[in-house]
Amino acid sequence: MTLHNQLDPISRRAFCERWASAALGVTVLHGLGGSAFAAEAAQSGAPSGPGFGKAKNVIFLQMIGGMTHIDTLDPKEGPTQGPKAPIKTKADFQLGGTMENLAKQADKFSIIRSMTSKTGVHAAGQYVIRNGYEQRGTIRHPNIGAWAQHFLGSSHKTLPSNVCVNRQPQNGNGFFPSSFSPLPILDPDVGLQYAKSEASPDQMTKRLAMLEQLDAGFRDRFQTSEVKSYSQFYDKTISIMSSTDLEAFHLDDEPEALKEKYGKNKFGQGCLLARRLVEKGIRYIEVAKGGWDMHNNIDDGLDEHGTELDVALSALLEDLKERGLLESTLVVLCSEFGRGPKLNGNGGRDHHPKVFSTLLAGGGIKGGYIHGSSDKEGMAVADKQVSPQDFLSTIGWSLGLPIDEVVMSPSNRPFTVGDKGKAVMEVFA
Amino acid sequence: MKTHLCLLLASALLVTGLQADNEVYRTWTDTQGRKLEATFRGIENGNVFLQVRNGYVYRLSLDKLSAVDQEAAKTLKPEGLGIPSDPNLAQAAAQIDMLVEAGLKKADQKPNPLASDEQFVRRVFLDLAGRIPTREEALEFINDTSLSKRAKVIDRLLDSEGYRSHLFNYFADMLRMADVAQKARFYTYQDWLKGQIAENVPWDKVVHSMMTADGKLLENGATGYLLRDAGMRLDNLSLTLSTFIGANVSCAQCHDHPFADWTQRQFYEMAAFFGATETYGAKGNAGGGMQGMRKLIASLDDRRMQQQAKNVLRVNGLAVEDSSTNDLKLPDDYKYPDAKPGDLVTPKLITWSDDKAKKAYQGVQTTKHDEQLREQFAKWMTSPDNPRFGMTIANRMWKHIFGVGVKEPVSDIDDPNASVNPALLHHLAHEMVRFKFDLKQFLRVLCNTQTYQREATSHELADNTPYLFPGPILRRMTAEQAWDSCATLVVGADVDKFKGHRGETYAKAMNIDFSQDASPDVVKGQIENAIASMRQFGGGKGDGNPKKNARKKRMMKQNADNEEDLTLAPPVRDGLVLARASELPQPEKDQHFLRMFGQSDRQIADSESEEGSIPQVLMLMNGEAQRVIGQNDSLVVKTASAQKTQEQQVDSLYLSFFSRKPKPDESANAIAGLNNGMTMRDLTWVLFNTREFIFVE
Repeated sequence: MTLHNQLDPISRRAFCERWASAALGVTVLHGLGGSAFAAEAAQSGAPSGPGFGKAKNVIFLQMIGGMTHIDTLDPKEGPTQGPKAPIKTKADFQLGGTMENLAKQADKFSIIRSMTSKTGVHAAGQYVIRNGYEQRGTIRHPNIGAWAQHFLGSSHKTLPSNVCVNRQPQNGNGFFPSSFSPLPILDPDVGLQYAKSEASPDQMTKRLAMLEQLDAGFRDRFQTSEVKSYSQFYDKTISIMSSTDLEAFHLDDEPEALKEKYGKNKFGQGCLLARRLVEKGIRYIEVAKGGWDMHNNIDDGLDEHGTELDVALSALLEDLKERGLLESTLVVLCSEFGRGPKLNGNGGRDHHPKVFSTLLAGGGIKGGYIHGSSDKEGMAVADKQVSPQDFLSTIGWSLGLPIDEVVMSPSNRPFTVGDKGKAVMEVFA
Repeated sequence: MKTHLCLLLASALLVTGLQADNEVYRTWTDTQGRKLEATFRGIENGNVFLQVRNGYVYRLSLDKLSAVDQEAAKTLKPEGLGIPSDPNLAQAAAQIDMLVEAGLKKADQKPNPLASDEQFVRRVFLDLAGRIPTREEALEFINDTSLSKRAKVIDRLLDSEGYRSHLFNYFADMLRMADVAQKARFYTYQDWLKGQIAENVPWDKVVHSMMTADGKLLENGATGYLLRDAGMRLDNLSLTLSTFIGANVSCAQCHDHPFADWTQRQFYEMAAFFGATETYGAKGNAGGGMQGMRKLIASLDDRRMQQQAKNVLRVNGLAVEDSSTNDLKLPDDYKYPDAKPGDLVTPKLITWSDDKAKKAYQGVQTTKHDEQLREQFAKWMTSPDNPRFGMTIANRMWKHIFGVGVKEPVSDIDDPNASVNPALLHHLAHEMVRFKFDLKQFLRVLCNTQTYQREATSHELADNTPYLFPGPILRRMTAEQAWDSCATLVVGADVDKFKGHRGETYAKAMNIDFSQDASPDVVKGQIENAIASMRQFGGGKGDGNPKKNARKKRMMKQNADNEEDLTLAPPVRDGLVLARASELPQPEKDQHFLRMFGQSDRQIADSESEEGSIPQVLMLMNGEAQRVIGQNDSLVVKTASAQKTQEQQVDSLYLSFFSRKPKPDESANAIAGLNNGMTMRDLTWVLFNTREFIFVE
């Protein structure tokens, strides 16, 4: 087993060679050898159970800054209630006062109200909830999209399998090859920038041929992974430029009314783009939204950011449902931590990793279900504690990844999807 | 003379701790029969340069040598790469080389061959001035026949404008310097840091100032460090400790550190040194005036004006003040038996188990005056006796020049013996202290080492193999180096001329005098002025648009004397403002070349990325930069086009992009391309898109 999983120098080299063999702009690689892994998994009696492999795609919504759980997914009454009172939903639970639209979609999702994390530092917390491991100076851990590409192969023949919207990729490929890195779309309205060349096809052919000639000496001398990885990016970019699949990134093709419905802001448009990419067969899409670090004036912050989230997420769920994509698309909402029950002196809430909430929808997830709970104040976990590792294992399970399988990094250290977390089976229908 | 040489010999023998054994030594004799065992480093202007085993370089008049040795000096091939600018510097550099070589030898590795002039000049420009040399700058160096030319170019670059710009970029990433934080502009902070670098203020003084700065952001840029994280003093402390003394404590913020010395209690004890530091809203003397102002604002009729006045006030309220009581408490979820949640915390300094003498702690007494707590902390942290302060910045500067630290990550130096070469790391720390935290001098020594002047390592290291510095590593340019190099291709060395200075303008526009005796009408007038200037800075958020300002200023200026003055406004081509990255918005907006190439978003310390991506490559192939570089008004194209033959044109392009001439086959291929319908623009596109361009050899 280790033979296949270990990214030893030989398979790494083979990987590079495969890319190198792609002729400029024409050859398109299928599967990237991923089918071998899939076949292997099938033979060795892959795990099964409720929800396993139901999700073909994942939209991973990451709230940056620490989303206040009490004012969104886990509302409280009494002294720790925020500026807005909880509201009723379509299901038998309440949501924070800002979540008006989401309340009407409550039959489509589950909430985990018993999340807990060990760190109250933004960067460290964001890293753990995205990758399942603590940040280390010695290794980068892959996001779930890169894990999925490792186990299942590429999800599309030219487009990347892993995309991140409104954020930088931040080494999302982890210890996997850099071609597993999420393709960043920093502004959904702009889409994939610079996709068209100014040069004529003939001119471009000449330029590319000359580039190979004049850079050959350097590439020969410096056969380091950094240089090779750049050459891979050039090859892949050239093949994308010559493909018609690029229209996946054109939000202009979406009706104006729908764009309005998602909210005309970067997060709203990012969610719309995510749905478009799901339709085009891109497996894993991260959409980030900042603005949640509400140390001051949480009321104002929620009016802006809470509303943007409410509008976009509910539009996304509705849109996916209407298109029949919700069953095969897992939508998750998470953040690095929650925010403290006590309002501080500046009308804000401070970092609170001890308990917070996440949301899951589609991809075999139950509707109108609450898993676990926090105590009366929203201070600590009261029931069924869930770690970031459990949360990510749940996503991996839903995608049909062998979450118990140990993969050796190139530095020969063992890793699993979600760091040996336990998938939360109760959220699956 | 006799005693003199003897003394020199004696002193040379005294320092025997470090000895090189890789060099060629011979015994030199002078006319009076005195002997010196040394390596021949070269001969220039009638002087012979001889390096003894401890690294010191003697300069002896040729005619003082015996006839045999005079002959030898004229015929021997010099060892090493030229002669240093001063003998002490040579010795300091040689000591580092010996430690590196000892480390290599232990692992049975050999150092890389020495780098060529062409490799060296491009590298040293990028490492010290942050951009590639122009064709002229490269040629000037390559054609210089003097033996001391490497030392000279190092000295020159350390005194250049580019040095200030490049080191600022490094610290801006480390310190998360952003134009906008706390809904205000942090321009004064940036200007302050640039000033400190330009004046080469010692690093301990720079950090001490950041820790102890008082007053308003608008009046004292150094307050920017604490105000950047106003309201988040635990995060701020966590970053302070990891950034300046490599103490990896971020875990201890929430629980005992799983594998290092620190406990959560200790983290809070350190944080207590800032427990009396007020960063959120001025409360003290200035505060009295502020309250009056709030009333005044309430009396304003226009609601929009009221809101804007509030913004002006908030910017004026950003200040650091010391209160008289430390109010830091343990967190509500504190779970260890040694104290209870919510207990007040008494400040206490951490110690390291390998620091036996604890000299940095002497003279730091417990104070009854809480307003002096920060001062105590700063004194201890920046002390030359602090076992990690000098080491951390030394290791960081080493990485800045060599591409990888002796200890990685540079923000975690808890165990120096876990570094790849502990002796080297300790020596660098010692040198940093010996140079009294003079960063320029430290970098000068590093660049004068043979280790730095070797070829970059070209083979792939096996995973988990420590890098022992057979030479610098091959690095991709940082975002700022790449951008500044693009701008250099288009406008040449003039790119260094423009400087932003936005802090001064902003402070002048926004600063309001809240002293008690200023009449409400005067203050009201000031607020109105400030509101008017806020519009110039794009209101509360957005980017201080240098493009627009640049155009405006250029038009004004051009009307005045019809000549571009690049110190006033940078050139703009196709929407790209061709100024050094350090003078552009911090950070640039998401879609800018700089960000696409990995400039940090300034949210996470040391988060500049050197990774490639598809959008980045699309930008290199199809974005504005390649177009602007290849246009006819671009310097690189103009210079090449002015050459007579195709061969000379290709030479010119190669010198501009790579600081070297093309090899015969490269030249032939390029010329064949020109004869096959390719244009100068096509060739610039090709060279710009090579790996050779974006990597630093």
